[in-house]
Amino acid sequence: MSVAGAWVCLLAPLAGLLAITGAGTRITRRQAGWIATVSVFVAFAGAVYTLIELIAQDASERERLSTAYTWFEAGRFEAGLQILVDPLAVTMMLVVTGVGGLIVWYSMGYMAGADEERRFFAYMALFVFSMLLLVQAGNLLLLLVGWGLVGLASYLLIGFDHHRPAAIAAAKKAFVMNAVGDATMALGLFLVIAKVGTLDFGPVFRAAEEGALSDTVVTLVALGLLGGAVAKSAQIPLQTWLPDAMEGPTPVSALIHAATMVTAGVYLICRTAPVFEAAPDVQHLAAGLGAVTLLAAGAIALVQWDIKRVIAYSTMSQIGYMFLGAGVGAYGFAMFHLVTHAFFKALLFLAAGVVIHHLAGEQDIRRMGGLRHYLPFTWLVFLVGSLALVGIPPLAGFWSKDAVLASALATGGVLGWSLYLAGLAGTFLTGLYTFRLFFRVFDGEPSPLVLEHAAGHGDHAHGAEDAAGHELHGHGEGPLSMLIPVGALAALTLIGGLLNVPGLWDTFEHWIAETSEPLVEATVGQDYLTSLLAVLLGAAGLLLARRAFLAGKDLVPGTSPLHDALARKLYFDDLYDALFSRPAQALAVRLRDRVETPVVQGSLEEIGTRTQEAAGEVARAQTGLLRTYAVAITGSVVVLAVVFIVVR
Amino acid sequence: MLATLLIVVPLAAALVIWVLPLPRETTAGIAVLAALAEVGLWVGGVFDFSLSPLGIEWVDFGSDQQLFGTSRAWFEELGVSYAVGFYGFQFWLTGLTVVVGACAIGYAMWVGRDRPRAYYGLVLFLVGSLVGVFASQDLLLFYVFFEAMLIPLYVLIGVWGGPQRVKATVTFVIYTMAGSLLMLASVVAFGIGQGTFSLATSGTSSNDWIFLGFVAAFAVKAPLFPFHGWLRDAYTQAPPEVSALLSGVVSKAAVFGLIWVVLPHFPGPVEDFRGLLLVLAAATLVYGSLLAFRQPDIRGVVAYSSMAQMGLITLGIFATNDLGLDGAVLQSVNHGLVSAAMFLLAGMVEERCGTGQLSALGGMAKGRPLLATLVLTTGMIVLAVPGSATFTGEFSILAGVFDHGWGYAAVGAAGIVIAAMYGLRLISALLHEGRGSSVPEDSPDLRAGELGLVVPLVAILLVLSAWPAAVSGNSFPGDAPAETIAGVGG
Repeated sequence: MSVAGAWVCLLAPLAGLLAITGAGTRITRRQAGWIATVSVFVAFAGAVYTLIELIAQDASERERLSTAYTWFEAGRFEAGLQILVDPLAVTMMLVVTGVGGLIVWYSMGYMAGADEERRFFAYMALFVFSMLLLVQAGNLLLLLVGWGLVGLASYLLIGFDHHRPAAIAAAKKAFVMNAVGDATMALGLFLVIAKVGTLDFGPVFRAAEEGALSDTVVTLVALGLLGGAVAKSAQIPLQTWLPDAMEGPTPVSALIHAATMVTAGVYLICRTAPVFEAAPDVQHLAAGLGAVTLLAAGAIALVQWDIKRVIAYSTMSQIGYMFLGAGVGAYGFAMFHLVTHAFFKALLFLAAGVVIHHLAGEQDIRRMGGLRHYLPFTWLVFLVGSLALVGIPPLAGFWSKDAVLASALATGGVLGWSLYLAGLAGTFLTGLYTFRLFFRVFDGEPSPLVLEHAAGHGDHAHGAEDAAGHELHGHGEGPLSMLIPVGALAALTLIGGLLNVPGLWDTFEHWIAETSEPLVEATVGQDYLTSLLAVLLGAAGLLLARRAFLAGKDLVPGTSPLHDALARKLYFDDLYDALFSRPAQALAVRLRDRVETPVVQGSLEEIGTRTQEAAGEVARAQTGLLRTYAVAITGSVVVLAVVFIVVR
Repeated sequence: MLATLLIVVPLAAALVIWVLPLPRETTAGIAVLAALAEVGLWVGGVFDFSLSPLGIEWVDFGSDQQLFGTSRAWFEELGVSYAVGFYGFQFWLTGLTVVVGACAIGYAMWVGRDRPRAYYGLVLFLVGSLVGVFASQDLLLFYVFFEAMLIPLYVLIGVWGGPQRVKATVTFVIYTMAGSLLMLASVVAFGIGQGTFSLATSGTSSNDWIFLGFVAAFAVKAPLFPFHGWLRDAYTQAPPEVSALLSGVVSKAAVFGLIWVVLPHFPGPVEDFRGLLLVLAAATLVYGSLLAFRQPDIRGVVAYSSMAQMGLITLGIFATNDLGLDGAVLQSVNHGLVSAAMFLLAGMVEERCGTGQLSALGGMAKGRPLLATLVLTTGMIVLAVPGSATFTGEFSILAGVFDHGWGYAAVGAAGIVIAAMYGLRLISALLHEGRGSSVPEDSPDLRAGELGLVVPLVAILLVLSAWPAAVSGNSFPGDAPAETIAGVGG
């Protein structure tokens, strides 16, 4: 089996990045966009080729490690620059480059006219490369490198509009919270090195499976990994950066903060499943955090007014389902939901981008309404995406979410049942917040803002600057470079769920099971029961949202205490501010003002002054200094001379 | 032979510049030529041209042979000799010296320092002494070079420094002088006790006082908390290129001393004092990081971040295992390059805006893509983003020190987070948001000459990011650094 395709896949976006950076202003902005788009599609071709190669192998042979060179070495510890090609990796490669290519392409239309477009496309290429490094990494150290680099790309892209303080603050917050996750992950890896002596997947997983590591050790390692996963995937308690990350341009939200990077935590749990299985408490903790997050985020989404933030909370909630699935050991279905979610959530973000683009940067859904008549295509695809998100058959989300929930049911026990009920409650919330958004944006009478932009259609006089400072115009539904990717994602949302149909074929689950064997298997009966309940609850949410919309009421009344708690994001930001941010700053300031300046620097000044006095204050300071030095040198020479004489 | 050559070339150039009354441009030209010749000689050393006619073969750093060495008796009765040569890590530290030295001299030429003959002579003298320090295989020789490198620093800070230069110089002199005297006592006592000053052939000592004398001197040089009183003033008042040398290279004399003098020859005391030293190193890391987070100016941030990095490197050294030692060497090279790049960039920003106060800066990314790219890249390497060479060094060091207690690694991991905080603060304060009050609207992007000084440093860092094993895998003879070092004293 050839792994050339996988290397091409990894390196093509890197080549794109280098080409754009190296060319500088010698290429036009549009050419930079094309370089990025083509490089990601070349990577996609590499991924497809790898998939074909892999399918041609026997099921037991579908794993290949390829090392380019010894990347790091210290004594006998080595870590290669190596990639692992197996079903799990290829699945992620296809999602990252496939969805990624569509989004980068879309960006060419969306970002047209933005300042420093070349920089944007360079960052996008950097992101895709980093994400591929993360999912293709053949050992834990390289995985951590990819893990950190996607954080870097995320920082750069959230803060792309660097003149806006809000964007920069959000970018920093995302980076620092992810650094916390990186740090816990690194601690886990130190422990692995201390106990196993290597970070290569094979020996580490064998050690975990064979019980060579004590329970404490394996639990701590799993906790370290989970810390990284929770931070990257914006799960409680490290979730607060994701809503703020919506300050980034919309394609960035679609690619990084919906389809790929934020789901990396799920990939990590599936990849390191042997470690988590050896520490079942931690694995269950992952499922529990997922359940809590899916409910909390779903509830907070009910009170958001920013179109992108609603979708961002929805992303957190959906990743909660994936964590729930991975946490009960249903790796195949967690990954399945990851894939379908990438389709329909990227679709929703990109469609939201069309709306924002059309309304010249407006993101507040209170100022929208009635857009159905002006953006029929967008209305249609947004509806498809919303229905998929709620899990209405036969759209993608239906198949994958229900499979995750059925696995929770199959797990049984208090844990399984709690997770199951939480997940079902979540589908109701999903129906509510999704269609609250949908109706407010597309239904009802056109709002004044919408009318204004409809009037200006085709006439550039109404062009305005959006929050990001791009000059945007009401262009109808936007150029083809935006509409084709949106259409493609809509098509994937329509048919993507058919990769795996319970009772008929479970192609996808088998595929992932070659890498990560599931711990639970739901019966067909459990599948159908779950589907029935989930669809009913989702539809109930949808209908309730419809009624509230027609009645002109808010789902959560603005006066209720619950509204306050949700609007303040359940006080997490306030809590972290009080617990970490302010004490750290205070400590730093106190050290500077109470220790460094008076004690460390101050005592010195004292000595310095005395020395100068001793050396003769009248003379110029340098003279005093030189004299001090002369004295010291003489002293040294005398000491040396004495020593030599004595020894002689 | 190469080791001697690398020491002599800059010293000879310094002499020529001092003695001959040459015009300004010629002086600068000679200095730059000498600096480039150093780089050329060093690069030539990486490849062993004698092995094949066309060819290029790597020098084998893994062999037990000392490379490019020279040894002549000096005071035979005392067992003092002029012995220089390289093992892998010494060669890397020397490479760091010649590269940063060349950039510093280039920067001085770019800025056009006053009294060029004195200035270039002193910088070249400093570079020659530093190479001498890193190439020493004899303890007394090491001491001589160690002292020699301090003299030009006093003058460079005291004469060419900023408004607070006198205070900066005085504190620097007091601290280093105290350290030097302690070290001198230790050098003499150790050498006399052993009957030889040769680092390779002298045995071990269990004398705590001699050990502490060395450690104190190196703790001042690094510096470690609480011996860092000289740091802020010296790093912020010296000319930027001198700060680059001071934090990037001079601090590595402490690394060399700890690895090659202290570890092999004092195994007993190292074991006894390890806990204390690791705590000091960890305290340095956290203290430096926290202070860096609240410094008002660019160079203050870089200064305390340097201190934190030295704490980290010291953690690696006193872990005395493979991951810790190889990581410490890698991180020494990384830190030397990145802090030099950062100080030079700080100088370029200060030159444009007339101040390094962060509150008066900002918004410089707009319209200055080259400056923005370089500050961002360098800043990301400073805060050790995963994938950067600094990250690899940090990871290796912390994985090494983990053996002596998870607490050190946990403190180090907290350091990672604080580093992210001060690094991002620095980047944003320079580049982002609205234009700062001291940033002239028409202040230009980096010019070609400036790029030529910073880009090489960053480029080497990127190469090391892609291939850290080049340094970490070639630092010590054999494949187990800890055993190798233990064997030196044995």
